[in-house]
Amino acid sequence: MKSGLLISILLAATCCQLAAQEDPAPDAPTPESRQDFRYSINAIDDATFYSSLQVPIPTTLNQLLLQPTLTYRYKPRWSLATSLVGMADTYSDTFTQVRVKEAYAGLSAGDFDFMVGRRIVRWGTGYAFTATCVLDPPRIPTNPTDRLNLNEGRDMIKADYVHGPHALTMAWSTAALAPSAAGLHDTTAFRYNVLVHGFDTSLIAGDDRGGDAFGGLTFTRVIGQAWEIHGEAAWREHEAILMGAKYTTPHGVTFIGEYFTPPNIPYYRDMSISPLAPRQHYLFLDAGKNRLRERPGWKELDLGAYVVANLNDRSFTAIFDANRRIGSHFSTYLHLEIPAGKPTSDYGSTPYSAATSVGIRFQL
Amino acid sequence: MSNINCALRTFLLVFFTAFLLACALVAHAASLAAPDADAVLKKADTYRNGWPSYVLHVKITNFESDKADEEKLYEVSQKGTEKTYVEFMSPREKGEHLLMLGDDMWVYLPDTSRPVRITPLERLSGDASNGDVARTNYAADYTPVYVRTEKVGAVDCYVLDLTAKRKGATYQRILFWVRVEDARPVRAEFYLTSGKHIKSATFDEYMAISGRTQLRRMTLYDEIRHNSHSVLEYSGIAPRELPDKLFYQGRTDRF
Repeated sequence: MKSGLLISILLAATCCQLAAQEDPAPDAPTPESRQDFRYSINAIDDATFYSSLQVPIPTTLNQLLLQPTLTYRYKPRWSLATSLVGMADTYSDTFTQVRVKEAYAGLSAGDFDFMVGRRIVRWGTGYAFTATCVLDPPRIPTNPTDRLNLNEGRDMIKADYVHGPHALTMAWSTAALAPSAAGLHDTTAFRYNVLVHGFDTSLIAGDDRGGDAFGGLTFTRVIGQAWEIHGEAAWREHEAILMGAKYTTPHGVTFIGEYFTPPNIPYYRDMSISPLAPRQHYLFLDAGKNRLRERPGWKELDLGAYVVANLNDRSFTAIFDANRRIGSHFSTYLHLEIPAGKPTSDYGSTPYSAATSVGIRFQL
Repeated sequence: MSNINCALRTFLLVFFTAFLLACALVAHAASLAAPDADAVLKKADTYRNGWPSYVLHVKITNFESDKADEEKLYEVSQKGTEKTYVEFMSPREKGEHLLMLGDDMWVYLPDTSRPVRITPLERLSGDASNGDVARTNYAADYTPVYVRTEKVGAVDCYVLDLTAKRKGATYQRILFWVRVEDARPVRAEFYLTSGKHIKSATFDEYMAISGRTQLRRMTLYDEIRHNSHSVLEYSGIAPRELPDKLFYQGRTDRF
């Protein structure tokens, strides 16, 4: 691990923060500032160890990531934001690159918001899957939270009109700046979102240049004290359906379940699935608890486990996550991934029998 | 005659003293008569919601065995009793924010890049829960009933029994002590639907801002893990014109 470089970055960042800390004056109304500047810095040192590799690559991948995010607002109209990722990956050689996750300018005028630049936009309501993935970055069911924050946005012009519970969004995204391997097209998309009787509902329509038009519907709803349900339905050549639910126990343990069935068309198909295969059916089950406060000394610990299964070929990947906070800025984590299934199956074709990631994260 | 006069004077003195005592008791009883619980609760809410539309900063310090082990910072924007937007400012939570619209609640997490709908039970997590930060207008969420008047230390207090009247309420029941003199909150006990006493609070310190008295510091005691408590310190309170679109659940351009 490149601990020397990481420690230097962390020390510099901590010094900057200490210099910036000031207590607000008490007992006086705070005048509103016209300018607003926010920042965050994440640094991650991650090491992944592969077991029983079936391809000739080293068994250890070391990744050092530095992720600064900056936002400047000149109230009430203008905003500028950027989020970058600097990466140094070490397999047998070291490979470095800088990714622009987001970089955009925004203008707010009355009920309208305009934005131009690169932006991560997610309209789907699913945790692990999405049927209405119009402008969304790729959703990987075995990594639903993008644990290393590597997703990049789409380059787009977007206009929002928000009035009461109603919101209309128009977006046009170009694929000109995206890598050709991403297989993106220029996309025009429209969304109408409304909160009515507790249903947070969206109607989505769009068109990929050179592809078919598509339409979709998403919703979420909370029922009682403990249940949330969500779903997506989309039509892109054929129908794709996602249904999910979340349940929270009085002790704070959260369970999430999702069922997803996409048509076997290139847009939805995973590379491990044959074009001749029928419609696929997937299941996602998750159980987790943040802060094990009930056990003395364990409240800094978050635990989670989930499984993603392809019901057609009965392959699955089981994942276990543990995260422990240390002080205000540091945390360590363990991420264990175990695929299972026939060698030709969706998850069984993963070229290792287990992947164990350990790492340390610094946040400022 | 002198004996009669003496007896008469003694009788009058006793009667007059008894009359004065009776008047004092009646006046005291009148002062302790059952108050209008709704009015008292609304007045008590003004110590934490001084303006119809305002912003404030909350610093939460969590203590374990009287030792500070974690500090969190929030910026809260509130409009009316139905709209609250909380921006998480501490290093570990930067980029997260919370939106409450009536009974509906979303949390935006940077790693999911979308607003995630959360259930009422999820808002209870943490020493000081999301609801403790974002849901401070008790008159909108609870039905109050006057229980009794009693002293907390040297202070005469009304005890109000608050029962949740809507799904968005953070707790099922709150026992709320407010000062008789001015309805200023003094202490509270929080209960779950199961009847379990989960937390207690003391309202420790107030400050004057633009002629209004506002809460500066309160302490939340964990009644399940008795060695744990949280201190909530309020600062930067100021009235603001907040646009409605700040409280739109679909916006993801917040930092």
